[in-house]
Amino acid sequence: MSNAIVVCTWGEERGGLPGGAEEVLSLAGSLARSVGSDLVWLTLGAQAAGVAETAGRYGVAALHQIDDAKLADIPADVAVEALAQYCEQQSPRIVLFNQMAATRTIAPRLAARLDSAVVMGVTEVAADGDTFDITASAYGGDTRVVYRVAGAGTPVAAVWATAITAECPEAGASLAVESVAVDLSSVSERVDIVEPAKAEGPKLEDAEIIVSGGRGLGAVENYKLIRDLAEALDGMAGASRPLVDEGWVDSNHQVGLTGKITKPNLYVAVGISGASQHMAGCGAANAIAAINKDSEAAIFQYARFGIVGDALELLPELIRAARS
Amino acid sequence: MRIVICVKEVLDPDAVNNYAIAGRLEIGDDGMSLTQTAIPRLMNGFDEQALEAALRIKDTGVDCSLTVVSIGEDPSKILKHCAALGADSVVAIKTDAGALDGHGVATLLLAQIEAGGGADLILCGRQASDDDQGVVPALIAERLGMPLVTFARAVEASGSSLKVTRVVPDGDEVVEVVCPAVVTVSNELGEPRYPTAAAKIKARKVKPQVTSPADLGVADGDLAPRIQMIRQFVPTVQGNCEFIDGGSPAEQADKLIARLREESLLS
Repeated sequence: MSNAIVVCTWGEERGGLPGGAEEVLSLAGSLARSVGSDLVWLTLGAQAAGVAETAGRYGVAALHQIDDAKLADIPADVAVEALAQYCEQQSPRIVLFNQMAATRTIAPRLAARLDSAVVMGVTEVAADGDTFDITASAYGGDTRVVYRVAGAGTPVAAVWATAITAECPEAGASLAVESVAVDLSSVSERVDIVEPAKAEGPKLEDAEIIVSGGRGLGAVENYKLIRDLAEALDGMAGASRPLVDEGWVDSNHQVGLTGKITKPNLYVAVGISGASQHMAGCGAANAIAAINKDSEAAIFQYARFGIVGDALELLPELIRAARS
Repeated sequence: MRIVICVKEVLDPDAVNNYAIAGRLEIGDDGMSLTQTAIPRLMNGFDEQALEAALRIKDTGVDCSLTVVSIGEDPSKILKHCAALGADSVVAIKTDAGALDGHGVATLLLAQIEAGGGADLILCGRQASDDDQGVVPALIAERLGMPLVTFARAVEASGSSLKVTRVVPDGDEVVEVVCPAVVTVSNELGEPRYPTAAAKIKARKVKPQVTSPADLGVADGDLAPRIQMIRQFVPTVQGNCEFIDGGSPAEQADKLIARLREESLLS
Protein backbone atom coordinates (compact mmCIF):
# COMPACT_ATOMS: atom_id res chain seq x y z
CA MET A 1 0.00 0.00 0.00
CA SER A 2 2.34 2.68 -1.21
CA ASN A 3 1.99 6.35 -0.38
CA ALA A 4 0.15 5.61 2.85
CA ILE A 5 0.38 7.50 6.11
CA VAL A 6 1.90 4.84 8.38
CA VAL A 7 1.63 4.82 12.17
CA CYS A 8 4.12 2.48 13.81
CA THR A 9 3.67 1.27 17.40
CA TRP A 10 4.75 -1.59 19.64
CA GLY A 11 4.16 -2.86 23.15
CA GLU A 12 1.12 -2.59 25.35
CA GLU A 13 0.17 -0.13 28.05
CA ARG A 14 -2.95 0.81 29.94
CA GLY A 15 -6.14 -0.19 28.15
CA GLY A 16 -4.59 -2.94 26.02
CA LEU A 17 -3.04 -0.55 23.50
CA PRO A 18 0.48 0.61 22.74
CA GLY A 19 1.33 3.89 24.50
CA GLY A 20 0.05 6.98 22.72
CA ALA A 21 -1.60 4.92 19.96
CA GLU A 22 -4.92 6.75 19.94
CA GLU A 23 -3.32 10.19 19.96
CA VAL A 24 -0.97 9.35 17.08
CA LEU A 25 -3.84 7.73 15.13
CA SER A 26 -5.93 10.90 15.63
CA LEU A 27 -3.16 13.06 14.19
CA ALA A 28 -2.38 10.60 11.39
CA GLY A 29 -6.05 10.09 10.53
CA SER A 30 -6.73 13.76 9.95
CA LEU A 31 -3.51 14.02 7.94
CA ALA A 32 -4.52 11.02 5.78
CA ARG A 33 -7.96 12.52 5.15
CA SER A 34 -6.48 15.90 4.22
CA VAL A 35 -4.21 14.40 1.55
CA GLY A 36 -6.46 11.53 0.44
CA SER A 37 -3.99 8.84 1.53
CA ASP A 38 -4.72 5.58 3.27
CA LEU A 39 -3.99 5.29 6.97
CA VAL A 40 -1.97 2.17 7.76
CA TRP A 41 -1.17 0.98 11.27
CA LEU A 42 1.97 -1.13 11.60
CA THR A 43 2.69 -2.95 14.86
CA LEU A 44 6.05 -4.51 15.70
CA GLY A 45 6.24 -7.70 17.75
CA ALA A 46 3.30 -9.26 19.56
CA GLN A 47 0.19 -7.20 18.92
CA ALA A 48 -1.62 -5.67 21.88
CA ALA A 49 -5.14 -6.97 22.57
CA GLY A 50 -7.04 -3.82 21.67
CA VAL A 51 -5.32 -2.99 18.38
CA ALA A 52 -7.69 -4.61 15.83
CA GLU A 53 -10.80 -2.99 17.33
CA THR A 54 -9.11 0.39 17.75
CA ALA A 55 -7.92 0.28 14.13
CA GLY A 56 -11.54 0.01 13.04
CA ARG A 57 -12.60 2.99 15.12
CA TYR A 58 -9.88 5.24 13.71
CA GLY A 59 -10.57 4.47 10.06
CA VAL A 60 -7.38 2.50 9.50
CA ALA A 61 -7.33 1.07 5.95
CA ALA A 62 -4.87 -1.73 6.66
CA LEU A 63 -3.44 -3.21 9.83
CA HIS A 64 0.08 -4.52 9.32
CA GLN A 65 2.16 -6.57 11.67
CA ILE A 66 5.81 -7.53 11.63
CA ASP A 67 6.44 -10.25 14.17
CA ASP A 68 9.60 -12.23 14.65
CA ALA A 69 11.18 -13.89 17.66
CA LYS A 70 13.99 -11.33 17.40
CA LEU A 71 11.49 -8.50 17.92
CA ALA A 72 10.53 -9.51 21.47
CA ASP A 73 11.27 -6.42 23.62
CA ILE A 74 11.91 -4.38 20.42
CA PRO A 75 15.71 -4.22 20.34
CA ALA A 76 16.66 -1.13 18.34
CA ASP A 77 19.03 -2.76 15.84
CA VAL A 78 16.38 -5.32 14.87
CA ALA A 79 13.53 -2.79 14.82
CA VAL A 80 15.47 -0.41 12.55
CA GLU A 81 16.27 -3.23 10.13
CA ALA A 82 12.63 -4.40 10.09
CA LEU A 83 11.35 -0.86 9.49
CA ALA A 84 13.91 -0.10 6.79
CA GLN A 85 12.83 -3.20 4.87
CA TYR A 86 9.16 -2.37 5.44
CA CYS A 87 9.63 1.15 4.06
CA GLU A 88 11.47 -0.19 1.04
CA GLN A 89 8.59 -2.59 0.30
CA GLN A 90 5.73 -0.23 1.06
CA SER A 91 7.09 3.27 0.24
CA PRO A 92 5.01 5.09 2.86
CA ARG A 93 4.39 8.79 2.44
CA ILE A 94 5.41 9.38 6.06
CA VAL A 95 6.05 7.21 9.13
CA LEU A 96 4.74 8.43 12.47
CA PHE A 97 5.77 7.11 15.89
CA ASN A 98 4.73 7.83 19.43
CA GLN A 99 7.71 9.46 21.08
CA MET A 100 8.94 7.17 23.85
CA ALA A 101 12.44 6.44 25.10
CA ALA A 102 13.03 3.76 22.45
CA THR A 103 11.74 6.03 19.68
CA ARG A 104 14.63 8.39 20.41
CA THR A 105 16.88 5.69 18.98
CA ILE A 106 14.67 4.03 16.40
CA ALA A 107 13.16 7.04 14.57
CA PRO A 108 16.38 8.93 13.71
CA ARG A 109 18.25 5.74 12.87
CA LEU A 110 15.48 4.78 10.47
CA ALA A 111 15.73 8.24 8.91
CA ALA A 112 19.49 7.76 8.48
CA ARG A 113 18.81 4.43 6.78
CA LEU A 114 16.22 6.02 4.47
CA ASP A 115 18.31 9.19 4.07
CA SER A 116 15.15 11.14 4.88
CA ALA A 117 13.94 13.93 7.11
CA VAL A 118 13.32 13.31 10.80
CA VAL A 119 11.48 15.47 13.34
CA MET A 120 11.02 14.65 17.04
CA GLY A 121 8.59 16.13 19.55
CA VAL A 122 5.91 16.61 16.89
CA THR A 123 2.61 18.29 17.81
CA GLU A 124 1.07 18.85 14.35
CA VAL A 125 1.57 17.70 10.76
CA ALA A 126 0.09 19.44 7.74
CA ALA A 127 0.59 18.42 4.13
CA ASP A 128 0.30 20.15 0.79
CA GLY A 129 1.23 18.07 -2.24
CA ASP A 130 4.71 16.68 -1.64
CA THR A 131 5.39 19.15 1.14
CA PHE A 132 4.91 18.51 4.84
CA ASP A 133 4.89 21.25 7.46
CA ILE A 134 5.75 19.56 10.73
CA THR A 135 5.38 21.46 13.99
CA ALA A 136 7.55 20.37 16.91
CA SER A 137 8.20 21.48 20.44
CA ALA A 138 11.45 23.39 21.16
CA TYR A 139 13.08 24.94 24.24
CA GLY A 140 11.43 22.36 26.48
CA GLY A 141 8.00 23.40 25.21
CA ASP A 142 8.50 27.19 25.46
CA THR A 143 8.25 27.50 21.68
CA ARG A 144 7.05 25.55 18.68
CA VAL A 145 9.04 25.34 15.48
CA VAL A 146 7.46 24.61 12.10
CA TYR A 147 9.78 22.60 9.86
CA ARG A 148 9.16 22.28 6.13
CA VAL A 149 9.97 18.93 4.56
CA ALA A 150 9.98 18.92 0.77
CA GLY A 151 10.74 16.41 -1.92
CA ALA A 152 10.70 12.67 -2.25
CA GLY A 153 11.53 10.12 0.41
CA THR A 154 9.75 9.00 3.54
CA PRO A 155 9.97 11.50 6.40
CA VAL A 156 9.98 10.10 9.91
CA ALA A 157 8.20 11.92 12.73
CA ALA A 158 7.95 11.12 16.45
CA VAL A 159 4.72 12.50 17.86
CA TRP A 160 4.53 13.96 21.33
CA ALA A 161 1.33 12.10 22.12
CA THR A 162 0.55 13.81 25.41
CA ALA A 163 0.30 17.15 23.58
CA ILE A 164 -2.58 15.74 21.52
CA THR A 165 -6.14 14.94 22.51
CA ALA A 166 -7.36 11.67 21.04
CA GLU A 167 -10.58 11.82 19.00
CA CYS A 168 -12.12 8.74 20.66
CA PRO A 169 -14.40 7.89 17.70
CA GLU A 170 -17.36 5.50 17.87
CA ALA A 171 -16.91 1.76 17.48
CA GLY A 172 -16.14 0.43 13.99
CA ALA A 173 -15.53 -3.02 12.58
CA SER A 174 -12.36 -4.76 13.76
CA LEU A 175 -9.64 -5.10 11.15
CA ALA A 176 -7.95 -8.29 10.07
CA VAL A 177 -4.21 -8.31 10.62
CA GLU A 178 -1.95 -8.63 7.58
CA SER A 179 1.45 -10.05 8.32
CA VAL A 180 4.29 -8.32 6.48
CA ALA A 181 7.35 -10.47 5.88
CA VAL A 182 10.84 -9.08 6.38
CA ASP A 183 14.14 -10.94 6.58
CA LEU A 184 15.82 -10.40 9.93
CA SER A 185 18.21 -13.35 9.67
CA SER A 186 21.32 -11.22 9.29
CA VAL A 187 20.68 -8.71 12.07
CA SER A 188 21.61 -9.18 15.69
CA GLU A 189 21.33 -6.75 18.55
CA ARG A 190 24.63 -5.17 19.50
CA VAL A 191 23.55 -3.66 22.82
CA ASP A 192 23.48 -6.40 25.45
CA ILE A 193 21.23 -5.85 28.48
CA VAL A 194 23.14 -7.32 31.42
CA GLU A 195 20.87 -5.98 34.19
CA PRO A 196 17.32 -5.18 33.17
CA ALA A 197 15.54 -2.32 34.90
CA LYS A 198 13.51 -3.51 37.82
CA ALA A 199 10.11 -1.89 37.76
CA GLU A 200 9.67 -1.40 41.48
CA GLY A 201 6.01 -1.10 42.30
CA PRO A 202 3.59 1.08 40.38
CA LYS A 203 4.81 3.52 37.75
CA LEU A 204 4.15 7.25 37.70
CA GLU A 205 3.06 6.90 34.07
CA ASP A 206 0.15 4.73 35.19
CA ALA A 207 -0.87 6.75 38.26
CA GLU A 208 -4.37 8.19 38.45
CA ILE A 209 -3.37 10.78 41.06
CA ILE A 210 0.06 12.41 41.34
CA VAL A 211 1.25 14.93 43.92
CA SER A 212 4.45 16.66 42.81
CA GLY A 213 6.76 19.03 44.62
CA GLY A 214 9.13 21.63 43.25
CA ARG A 215 11.68 24.18 44.35
CA GLY A 216 8.98 26.04 46.31
CA LEU A 217 9.26 23.39 49.03
CA GLY A 218 12.41 25.15 50.15
CA ALA A 219 14.25 22.26 51.81
CA VAL A 220 14.76 18.56 51.22
CA GLU A 221 13.02 17.48 54.45
CA ASN A 222 9.79 19.12 53.29
CA TYR A 223 9.45 16.62 50.45
CA LYS A 224 8.06 14.20 53.07
CA LEU A 225 4.89 16.32 53.03
CA ILE A 226 4.52 15.55 49.30
CA ARG A 227 4.83 11.83 49.99
CA ASP A 228 2.31 12.10 52.85
CA LEU A 229 -0.22 13.99 50.74
CA ALA A 230 0.23 11.53 47.88
CA GLU A 231 -0.43 8.69 50.29
CA ALA A 232 -3.47 10.43 51.80
CA LEU A 233 -4.93 10.90 48.30
CA ASP A 234 -4.08 7.32 47.34
CA GLY A 235 -1.74 8.63 44.65
CA MET A 236 1.96 8.72 43.86
CA ALA A 237 4.65 11.30 44.56
CA GLY A 238 6.44 13.14 41.76
CA ALA A 239 8.93 15.97 41.52
CA SER A 240 10.16 18.65 39.18
CA ARG A 241 13.64 18.39 37.71
CA PRO A 242 15.42 20.83 40.07
CA LEU A 243 14.65 18.50 43.01
CA VAL A 244 16.14 15.57 41.14
CA ASP A 245 19.18 17.59 40.06
CA GLU A 246 19.68 18.68 43.70
CA GLY A 247 19.60 15.03 44.73
CA TRP A 248 16.52 15.44 46.97
CA VAL A 249 14.54 12.83 45.08
CA ASP A 250 15.41 9.85 42.90
CA SER A 251 15.07 10.41 39.15
CA ASN A 252 12.29 7.81 39.05
CA HIS A 253 10.05 10.56 40.40
CA GLN A 254 10.98 13.21 37.84
CA VAL A 255 8.02 14.50 35.85
CA GLY A 256 8.82 16.45 32.70
CA LEU A 257 10.25 16.45 29.22
CA THR A 258 13.39 14.59 30.30
CA GLY A 259 11.57 12.54 32.94
CA LYS A 260 8.24 10.79 33.17
CA ILE A 261 5.48 11.76 30.79
CA THR A 262 2.36 11.27 32.90
CA LYS A 263 -1.35 11.46 32.25
CA PRO A 264 -3.14 11.26 35.60
CA ASN A 265 -6.74 12.14 36.33
CA LEU A 266 -5.53 14.64 38.95
CA TYR A 267 -2.11 16.29 39.18
CA VAL A 268 -1.39 18.32 42.30
CA ALA A 269 1.58 20.66 41.72
CA VAL A 270 3.07 22.14 44.89
CA GLY A 271 5.73 24.83 44.69
CA ILE A 272 6.17 24.23 40.97
CA SER A 273 6.43 27.30 38.74
CA GLY A 274 5.02 25.65 35.63
CA ALA A 275 8.04 25.68 33.32
CA SER A 276 7.23 24.20 29.92
CA GLN A 277 9.85 21.52 30.55
CA HIS A 278 7.78 20.32 33.50
CA MET A 279 4.38 20.81 31.86
CA ALA A 280 5.52 18.48 29.06
CA GLY A 281 5.30 15.72 31.64
CA CYS A 282 1.96 16.60 33.24
CA GLY A 283 0.08 18.89 30.83
CA ALA A 284 -2.03 15.96 29.67
CA ALA A 285 -3.53 15.49 33.15
CA ASN A 286 -7.31 15.64 33.22
CA ALA A 287 -7.06 18.37 35.90
CA ILE A 288 -4.23 20.17 37.66
CA ALA A 289 -4.51 21.68 41.13
CA ALA A 290 -1.70 24.13 41.85
CA ILE A 291 -0.32 25.60 45.04
CA ASN A 292 2.20 28.39 44.69
CA LYS A 293 2.99 31.49 46.66
CA ASP A 294 3.40 33.54 43.48
CA SER A 295 -0.01 34.39 42.03
CA GLU A 296 1.69 35.09 38.68
CA ALA A 297 3.25 31.63 38.45
CA ALA A 298 2.75 30.04 35.04
CA ILE A 299 1.34 26.89 36.64
CA PHE A 300 -1.94 28.74 37.29
CA GLN A 301 -2.45 29.11 33.53
CA TYR A 302 -2.62 25.34 33.25
CA ALA A 303 -4.43 24.68 36.53
CA ARG A 304 -8.14 24.10 36.98
CA PHE A 305 -7.87 24.83 40.73
CA GLY A 306 -5.35 27.05 42.45
CA ILE A 307 -4.39 28.26 45.88
CA VAL A 308 -2.00 31.17 46.24
CA GLY A 309 -0.21 30.48 49.48
CA ASP A 310 2.63 28.95 51.45
CA ALA A 311 3.09 25.29 50.56
CA LEU A 312 4.44 24.46 54.01
CA GLU A 313 1.36 25.87 55.73
CA LEU A 314 -1.07 24.32 53.25
CA LEU A 315 0.39 20.82 52.91
CA PRO A 316 -0.31 19.66 56.52
CA GLU A 317 -3.85 21.02 56.21
CA LEU A 318 -4.39 19.27 52.87
CA ILE A 319 -3.13 15.98 54.36
CA ARG A 320 -5.58 16.38 57.25
CA ALA A 321 -8.48 17.31 54.93
CA ALA A 322 -7.70 14.42 52.55
CA ARG A 323 -7.73 11.92 55.41
CA SER A 324 -11.03 13.14 56.81
CA MET B 1 40.88 4.84 23.66
CA ARG B 2 39.91 7.73 21.42
CA ILE B 3 36.90 9.58 22.80
CA VAL B 4 35.18 12.29 20.78
CA ILE B 5 32.68 14.55 22.52
CA CYS B 6 30.27 16.57 20.37
CA VAL B 7 29.13 19.87 21.87
CA LYS B 8 26.76 22.61 20.80
CA GLU B 9 26.37 26.22 21.82
CA VAL B 10 22.77 27.12 22.67
CA LEU B 11 20.78 30.00 24.10
CA ASP B 12 20.62 29.62 27.88
CA PRO B 13 17.44 27.52 28.28
CA ASP B 14 16.81 28.81 31.81
CA ALA B 15 16.86 32.40 30.57
CA VAL B 16 14.50 31.49 27.70
CA ASN B 17 12.27 29.78 30.22
CA ASN B 18 12.26 32.79 32.55
CA TYR B 19 11.09 34.99 29.67
CA ALA B 20 8.44 32.39 28.81
CA ILE B 21 7.16 32.15 32.38
CA ALA B 22 6.99 35.94 32.56
CA GLY B 23 5.01 35.94 29.29
CA ARG B 24 7.73 37.99 27.60
CA LEU B 25 9.15 35.49 25.12
CA GLU B 26 8.81 36.99 21.66
CA ILE B 27 9.65 36.03 18.11
CA GLY B 28 11.25 38.61 15.82
CA ASP B 29 10.08 39.99 12.49
CA ASP B 30 11.74 37.11 10.66
CA GLY B 31 9.13 34.86 12.30
CA MET B 32 11.87 32.52 13.41
CA SER B 33 14.30 33.83 16.00
CA LEU B 34 13.82 34.88 19.61
CA THR B 35 14.08 38.63 20.03
CA GLN B 36 15.60 38.68 23.51
CA THR B 37 19.19 39.67 22.81
CA ALA B 38 20.03 39.57 26.52
CA ILE B 39 19.85 35.78 26.60
CA PRO B 40 23.40 34.46 27.00
CA ARG B 41 24.80 31.70 24.83
CA LEU B 42 26.39 28.77 26.58
CA MET B 43 27.35 25.16 26.17
CA ASN B 44 24.37 22.80 26.02
CA GLY B 45 24.00 21.35 29.52
CA PHE B 46 23.65 17.75 28.37
CA ASP B 47 26.86 18.15 26.33
CA GLU B 48 28.65 19.36 29.47
CA GLN B 49 27.53 16.14 31.07
CA ALA B 50 28.80 14.18 28.07
CA LEU B 51 32.23 15.76 28.60
CA GLU B 52 31.93 15.00 32.31
CA ALA B 53 31.28 11.33 31.44
CA ALA B 54 34.49 11.32 29.35
CA LEU B 55 36.47 12.97 32.16
CA ARG B 56 35.20 10.35 34.64
CA ILE B 57 36.46 7.61 32.30
CA LYS B 58 39.84 9.37 32.22
CA ASP B 59 39.75 9.68 36.04
CA THR B 60 39.58 5.89 36.38
CA GLY B 61 43.00 5.62 34.76
CA VAL B 62 41.88 4.45 31.33
CA ASP B 63 44.45 5.48 28.73
CA CYS B 64 42.38 7.79 26.55
CA SER B 65 42.42 10.97 24.50
CA LEU B 66 39.53 13.41 24.65
CA THR B 67 38.68 15.45 21.55
CA VAL B 68 35.83 17.96 21.68
CA VAL B 69 34.20 19.02 18.40
CA SER B 70 31.75 21.84 17.88
CA ILE B 71 30.12 23.47 14.88
CA GLY B 72 29.25 27.13 14.77
CA GLU B 73 30.25 30.63 13.92
CA ASP B 74 32.47 31.04 16.95
CA PRO B 75 32.51 28.14 19.35
CA SER B 76 35.91 29.12 20.77
CA LYS B 77 34.48 30.22 24.14
CA ILE B 78 32.90 26.88 24.92
CA LEU B 79 35.86 25.02 23.45
CA LYS B 80 38.23 26.86 25.80
CA HIS B 81 35.97 25.84 28.67
CA CYS B 82 36.30 22.22 27.50
CA ALA B 83 40.09 22.58 27.29
CA ALA B 84 40.16 23.97 30.82
CA LEU B 85 38.19 20.95 32.01
CA GLY B 86 40.72 18.55 30.52
CA ALA B 87 39.96 17.98 26.84
CA ASP B 88 43.19 17.06 25.04
CA SER B 89 42.20 18.75 21.82
CA VAL B 90 39.37 21.01 20.72
CA VAL B 91 38.13 21.42 17.16
CA ALA B 92 35.87 24.09 15.70
CA ILE B 93 34.10 23.41 12.42
CA LYS B 94 33.24 26.76 10.88
CA THR B 95 30.61 26.83 8.21
CA ASP B 96 28.74 29.45 6.27
CA ALA B 97 26.61 26.87 4.48
CA GLY B 98 23.47 28.30 6.10
CA ALA B 99 21.14 26.51 8.45
CA LEU B 100 22.08 22.88 8.95
CA ASP B 101 19.63 20.16 9.89
CA GLY B 102 20.55 17.05 11.89
CA HIS B 103 21.81 15.27 8.78
CA GLY B 104 24.10 18.20 7.92
CA VAL B 105 25.47 18.37 11.46
CA ALA B 106 26.06 14.60 11.45
CA THR B 107 27.79 14.82 8.04
CA LEU B 108 30.26 17.41 9.33
CA LEU B 109 30.87 15.70 12.67
CA LEU B 110 31.57 12.34 11.14
CA ALA B 111 33.81 13.86 8.46
CA GLN B 112 35.82 15.46 11.27
CA ILE B 113 35.86 12.24 13.31
CA GLU B 114 37.19 10.33 10.30
CA ALA B 115 39.74 13.05 9.50
CA GLY B 116 40.90 12.90 13.13
CA GLY B 117 41.61 9.18 12.92
CA GLY B 118 38.25 7.81 14.06
CA ALA B 119 36.82 7.23 17.51
CA ASP B 120 36.28 4.32 19.86
CA LEU B 121 33.60 6.21 21.76
CA ILE B 122 31.50 9.16 20.66
CA LEU B 123 29.76 10.93 23.52
CA CYS B 124 26.91 13.41 23.00
CA GLY B 125 24.32 15.06 25.18
CA ARG B 126 20.92 13.38 24.94
CA GLN B 127 19.53 16.41 23.11
CA ALA B 128 20.25 20.10 22.59
CA SER B 129 18.17 22.30 24.86
CA ASP B 130 17.26 24.66 22.01
CA ASP B 131 15.56 22.42 19.44
CA ASP B 132 15.23 19.34 21.73
CA GLN B 133 15.62 17.14 18.64
CA GLY B 134 18.37 14.79 19.84
CA VAL B 135 18.71 13.10 16.45
CA VAL B 136 22.38 13.78 15.66
CA PRO B 137 23.86 10.98 17.83
CA ALA B 138 21.56 8.42 16.18
CA LEU B 139 22.35 9.71 12.69
CA ILE B 140 26.09 9.49 13.40
CA ALA B 141 25.74 5.98 14.86
CA GLU B 142 23.74 4.70 11.92
CA ARG B 143 26.02 6.24 9.33
CA LEU B 144 29.17 4.94 10.99
CA GLY B 145 27.58 1.54 11.58
CA MET B 146 28.02 1.89 15.34
CA PRO B 147 25.59 0.84 18.07
CA LEU B 148 23.85 3.62 20.00
CA VAL B 149 23.18 3.68 23.73
CA THR B 150 20.92 6.51 24.92
CA PHE B 151 20.25 8.24 28.27
CA ALA B 152 23.41 7.21 30.13
CA ARG B 153 23.76 8.06 33.80
CA ALA B 154 27.13 6.26 34.07
CA VAL B 155 29.65 5.09 31.49
CA GLU B 156 32.49 2.70 32.39
CA ALA B 157 35.16 1.61 29.91
CA SER B 158 36.98 -1.68 30.28
CA GLY B 159 39.17 -2.97 27.49
CA SER B 160 37.31 -2.60 24.23
CA SER B 161 33.83 -2.62 25.75
CA LEU B 162 31.59 -0.26 27.66
CA LYS B 163 29.25 -0.81 30.56
CA VAL B 164 26.54 1.84 30.53
CA THR B 165 23.84 2.47 33.11
CA ARG B 166 20.81 3.83 31.28
CA VAL B 167 17.83 5.73 32.63
CA VAL B 168 14.75 3.97 31.20
CA PRO B 169 11.06 4.29 32.14
CA ASP B 170 11.23 1.32 34.53
CA GLY B 171 14.34 2.52 36.34
CA ASP B 172 18.01 1.87 35.62
CA GLU B 173 19.17 -0.66 33.08
CA VAL B 174 22.78 -1.80 32.67
CA VAL B 175 23.96 -2.62 29.17
CA GLU B 176 27.23 -3.70 27.62
CA VAL B 177 28.39 -2.81 24.17
CA VAL B 178 31.58 -3.33 22.21
CA CYS B 179 33.42 -0.24 20.96
CA PRO B 180 33.23 1.69 18.73
CA ALA B 181 29.90 3.03 19.96
CA VAL B 182 27.89 6.22 20.35
CA VAL B 183 26.53 7.03 23.81
CA THR B 184 24.18 9.88 24.75
CA VAL B 185 24.30 11.27 28.27
CA SER B 186 21.35 12.41 30.37
CA ASN B 187 21.14 14.88 33.25
CA GLU B 188 21.02 12.00 35.76
CA LEU B 189 24.80 11.68 35.30
CA GLY B 190 25.03 14.49 37.85
CA GLU B 191 26.67 17.85 38.20
CA PRO B 192 29.60 18.42 35.82
CA ARG B 193 32.83 19.64 37.40
CA TYR B 194 34.17 23.20 37.24
CA PRO B 195 37.61 24.01 35.88
CA THR B 196 40.25 25.15 38.34
CA ALA B 197 41.40 28.77 38.16
CA ALA B 198 44.84 27.67 36.97
CA ALA B 199 43.36 25.49 34.22
CA LYS B 200 41.14 28.37 33.10
CA ILE B 201 44.10 30.70 32.76
CA LYS B 202 46.05 28.06 30.86
CA ALA B 203 43.09 27.39 28.57
CA ARG B 204 42.86 31.05 27.56
CA LYS B 205 45.88 30.44 25.36
CA VAL B 206 44.38 27.36 23.75
CA LYS B 207 43.61 27.91 20.10
CA PRO B 208 40.99 25.52 18.81
CA GLN B 209 41.91 23.68 15.65
CA VAL B 210 39.71 25.37 13.07
CA THR B 211 38.43 23.45 10.11
CA SER B 212 35.75 23.91 7.46
CA PRO B 213 33.49 21.75 5.31
CA ALA B 214 35.90 22.27 2.39
CA ASP B 215 38.87 21.16 4.54
CA LEU B 216 36.89 18.05 5.42
CA GLY B 217 35.97 17.34 1.81
CA VAL B 218 32.29 18.05 2.38
CA ALA B 219 30.54 19.85 -0.49
CA ASP B 220 27.74 22.35 0.15
CA GLY B 221 25.36 19.99 -1.61
CA ASP B 222 26.09 17.32 1.01
CA LEU B 223 24.82 19.73 3.64
CA ALA B 224 21.51 20.56 1.94
CA PRO B 225 18.94 20.32 4.73
CA ARG B 226 16.06 17.87 4.52
CA ILE B 227 14.09 19.98 6.96
CA GLN B 228 14.04 23.75 7.18
CA MET B 229 12.61 25.92 9.91
CA ILE B 230 9.98 28.18 8.38
CA ARG B 231 8.43 29.57 11.53
CA GLN B 232 8.77 29.65 15.29
CA PHE B 233 6.04 30.71 17.69
CA VAL B 234 5.23 30.84 21.36
CA PRO B 235 2.28 28.56 22.13
CA THR B 236 -0.56 30.16 24.02
CA VAL B 237 -2.15 28.64 27.06
CA GLN B 238 -5.81 29.20 27.86
CA GLY B 239 -5.79 30.07 31.56
CA ASN B 240 -8.98 29.12 33.37
CA CYS B 241 -8.07 28.62 37.00
CA GLU B 242 -10.60 28.58 39.82
CA PHE B 243 -8.75 30.18 42.73
CA ILE B 244 -9.63 29.00 46.23
CA ASP B 245 -9.06 32.15 48.21
CA GLY B 246 -9.93 33.71 51.50
CA GLY B 247 -9.74 32.17 54.94
CA SER B 248 -7.01 30.32 56.77
CA PRO B 249 -4.83 27.62 55.19
CA ALA B 250 -7.06 25.05 56.94
CA GLU B 251 -10.20 26.51 55.36
CA GLN B 252 -8.55 26.71 51.93
CA ALA B 253 -7.40 23.09 52.20
CA ASP B 254 -10.92 21.93 53.18
CA LYS B 255 -12.42 23.86 50.30
CA LEU B 256 -9.95 22.52 47.72
CA ILE B 257 -10.42 18.89 48.80
CA ALA B 258 -14.21 19.39 48.75
CA ARG B 259 -14.10 20.85 45.21
CA LEU B 260 -11.89 18.01 43.96
CA ARG B 261 -14.37 15.50 45.39
CA GLU B 262 -17.32 17.33 43.83
CA GLU B 263 -15.62 17.15 40.45
CA SER B 264 -14.93 13.42 40.97
CA LEU B 265 -11.20 14.06 40.76
CA LEU B 266 -10.89 12.44 44.19
CA SER B 267 -12.88 9.57 45.59
